[in-house]
Amino acid sequence: MEIDREDGRSQNQLRPLACSRNILHRAHGSASWSQGDTKVLAAVYGPKAGTKKNENPEKACIEVIWKPKTGQIGKLEKEYEMILKRTLQSICILTVNPNTTTSVMIQVVNDDGALLPSAINAACMALVDAGIPMRHLAVSICCCVARSGLVILDPTKLEEQKMKAFAYLVFPNSVHSVLPEGSPSVQGEPIENGIITSVTHGTMSVDDYFYCLERGRAASTKLSDFLRRNLQQQSTNSSKAG
Amino acid sequence: MEIKQSSSPTSFIDSTVVPGDVVLDLSSMTNQTIKLGGGLRQDCDAISAMKAGTLRFSKPNKYWIESSQKRYVPCVEDTVLGIVVDSKADNFLIDIKGPALAFLPVLAFEGGTRRNIPKFEVGTLLYLRVVKANFGMNPELSCTDASGKAAEFGPLKDGYMFETSTGLSRKLLSSPTCPVLEALGKKLSFEIAVGLNGRVWVNAASPDTIVVAANAIMNSESLSTAQQIIMVEHLLKNIQ
Repeated sequence: MEIDREDGRSQNQLRPLACSRNILHRAHGSASWSQGDTKVLAAVYGPKAGTKKNENPEKACIEVIWKPKTGQIGKLEKEYEMILKRTLQSICILTVNPNTTTSVMIQVVNDDGALLPSAINAACMALVDAGIPMRHLAVSICCCVARSGLVILDPTKLEEQKMKAFAYLVFPNSVHSVLPEGSPSVQGEPIENGIITSVTHGTMSVDDYFYCLERGRAASTKLSDFLRRNLQQQSTNSSKAG
Repeated sequence: MEIKQSSSPTSFIDSTVVPGDVVLDLSSMTNQTIKLGGGLRQDCDAISAMKAGTLRFSKPNKYWIESSQKRYVPCVEDTVLGIVVDSKADNFLIDIKGPALAFLPVLAFEGGTRRNIPKFEVGTLLYLRVVKANFGMNPELSCTDASGKAAEFGPLKDGYMFETSTGLSRKLLSSPTCPVLEALGKKLSFEIAVGLNGRVWVNAASPDTIVVAANAIMNSESLSTAQQIIMVEHLLKNIQ
């Protein structure tokens, strides 16, 4: 069952990715992430001394501020902030800098579908740029289920509006390891088989959801490679100096 | 079943690693003591990276991740430039661009007694040495060297302070002398203090010299040796 996507992509094809780090002068870490026409800017400030009132002072605290492109801040922005905060809390090592706050600001530059996944990817790269200690990186994809039952990846805004249901999935990145049995495992399964966050909208069957997970996980290895190449390139650029 | 040796091509030394990469396997290195520097953490028998950067190894047993950030991670025996934020009865509170404010004991000066406590205003720039940097505690600083002498530590008067990344500070302090400093030093006379926390202070007789020196240093971050020399020549041509 073939579906004709408006921009000619196949079912599992992602839009062109672009990422640049260290673009803001004052922020301690910054990154801009674009998937096709969706573009998000993330800035990280910290770690700074002190935590908020209701936060545990034995751990670092992460605060997220989401700024939409237009309009006032409402419930949707608060929901995105909460999802982003919990995702970032599970990838950062919070015990390294106790009693500190790291602020992550997300600015939406353009929204053309898959906004939250782009924001999660941008925030992760900005945290790497700021040198915040992390357990592993997070790669995020949007998978949607069409009315015909077909699953497609990385929809544009028009495609997202026509879909029956969609899921934002966040996976850990694929790690390189010197261990003979490959990457470290948790209870017998390699880390790459885990999932960090899953946000679903609409209705889909359980089989459709598992199929989305499979497709998303396959695409996450491509995203992992892209992140790794991006980090390698920028580090060789700066090591040419002096 | 094949057993991979850790000195095979999968060794990550001098290559870029990403948070999560397992860079050392301790189960294959019994009877050795290894020292882990910044950016690495231990998870039972596997050492994994916490930051993105280049993995470095120095004989006989030190491993660390080299990366350049805008914020500083306090380390003992580092020399840093701090700014006074507040003063308490026993300590000055100093900002050193780290996760917590640092304390400078009021008596940590050469010949310091309760009678001659220096009075630093909020905003004073000081050249300091990190004495203690323990987990969970505020770092402690001192204005003397290990033997108690003043040795150039203390307030820096006049001049201009600017912020850089920690990588650039390390390059400026490397030996042999960094190319940009050598090229500037051939034509200009200026005084410079470099803090490993990403702050640099420059002072000279005339403001022109200070501005040229500061701009040259800020521009030199991503340039190679030859490019740095050309950049400095270009800047100096415009003022002479």
